[in-house]
Amino acid sequence: MLTAHLNPLAASLFSLIAIASLLLAFVMLGSRWLRHYLYAFAAESWLIGILSAAVGFYGNYPELYLIAILTVVFRGGLLPYLIFRIIRRLHVSREVHEILQPSSGLVIGALAVIFALGVSSRIGAELGMSGTVVVLALTVMLSMKLLGFLMLAARHEALSHILGLLVLENGIFLGAQILVPGMPLLIEIVILFDLLIVVACFGLLVQYLMTHVGTTSSLELRRLVG
Amino acid sequence: MSGRDIVLQVAQVLAVLLLAPLIQGIILQFEERVQRAQGPGIFQPYRDLWKLFHKQLVVPETASWLYWTAPVVAFTAMLTVPILIPVLTNYPLPLSDMGDILGGGLILTLGSFMITLAGLDTASAYGGIGSSRAVMVAILAEPTLILVFVGITLLAKAMLPFVVNHLLVAQPAVYWSPAHLFLVAAFFVLLLVETDRLPIHSPTHIEVYMIDEGRILEYSGPLLALLRWASTMKQFILYTIFCNVLLLPWGLSYLGTALGVTGSTLALLGKFVLVACAVVFVDTAQSRLRFYRYQEPLAASFLLAVLSIISTQLA
Repeated sequence: MLTAHLNPLAASLFSLIAIASLLLAFVMLGSRWLRHYLYAFAAESWLIGILSAAVGFYGNYPELYLIAILTVVFRGGLLPYLIFRIIRRLHVSREVHEILQPSSGLVIGALAVIFALGVSSRIGAELGMSGTVVVLALTVMLSMKLLGFLMLAARHEALSHILGLLVLENGIFLGAQILVPGMPLLIEIVILFDLLIVVACFGLLVQYLMTHVGTTSSLELRRLVG
Repeated sequence: MSGRDIVLQVAQVLAVLLLAPLIQGIILQFEERVQRAQGPGIFQPYRDLWKLFHKQLVVPETASWLYWTAPVVAFTAMLTVPILIPVLTNYPLPLSDMGDILGGGLILTLGSFMITLAGLDTASAYGGIGSSRAVMVAILAEPTLILVFVGITLLAKAMLPFVVNHLLVAQPAVYWSPAHLFLVAAFFVLLLVETDRLPIHSPTHIEVYMIDEGRILEYSGPLLALLRWASTMKQFILYTIFCNVLLLPWGLSYLGTALGVTGSTLALLGKFVLVACAVVFVDTAQSRLRFYRYQEPLAASFLLAVLSIISTQLA
């Protein structure tokens, strides 16, 4: 395993990038404007791309450079651009009826991070690598997943939902990059195209919601129709 | 304990006492300049204090003994804290073992607590509003402050500011670790809260959105001068902790010679000007928010402190 014998500089670089992307997930959780969610998501994807390249450099996995470029181009460029086009078409710039205030969201998110730390330090102790970058990667992965779930649960604009889903996915990808860097290239490419299809489907869904329901907020969708 | 150390300790307190209005003047002057105004000059707070000390004292009929005690207690508390922290020298001076960081925080809060009581004491409407708003902000700021202290303790394995200073100077790896950087960010938000420069605080003081100014609205003359001086000293002390303990731990006197102490005083002023630039930038660039969004910066600060504690667990 790569992470068992890292030099300290690489370990601190990995942990800095991981913590910075966790912070960007919190920026998404705490801001009020959909456009800011999008910028934070793009920046997070760029960081994950840099992380892939760094893992590739320190662990001698040349195919990770390709994955880094693909991550930056798709997650950091194409997906935000597509979502940005949807935002512009929808004329929705922020969540109007907030279920959860941004500040309460931040505090709940902080509690989720503490929970994730508890779980992952248990796992790290079981594996006998407590106090290493493995525990940090697990913590960041679990807490980004929890934050994604929180965004899915506490927001009702369809756009926020898709961004919550993307954050969740980013968390898994980040954890996978550090924990199991030798994933087959094909799987990564499949995941990227999967995301592209998700966003494209979502564009169609938004179009449908706008013409048939007149809103993209899930607060209005209470009735089952057949 | 040598005689020179006692002189140095007195010099630390005097430095805080005499230079605090200068820092306030520099910040206010910077703000005026950024907004393209002329500004009153950096020595204006000294002139204000001089003027207030020569004015007549008017006491409300409803005032009790609290009205008289609060300014004195606040002023004394601010004279006590500089003994505990590294203002000029990077080694402990006599009596600096009276309290750790938590003790210093306790004394700082005592002064603020007395002013809150004095605001309620005269039973005027604005004093009540000011006190209630100040307490609402403090309820959220205090837990974060405690978390920052916990983070510092976990980082340095000690609660003495001198130990933290030595650790950060000696080990650049700790200085650049995420734990320390997040602590700096969390403390910066607290610094803005405690010196009334959050986006919810208003730039002009006497109006309906006032928070800290509302508590001391009933004061006049020399007592008002004492309170103003105490609040500038509180700002100076918080800046000192931020610079000399967390952000810029370099440039303190190692040996305690006269030359070293002069140099560290100048270095302190230089650091404060840097921090003041950041504060003025935040103050000018961020638009005013309504009062009930006061939780958001504090929640962010809480979060940063939690992240910092988590990264100390993993380092």
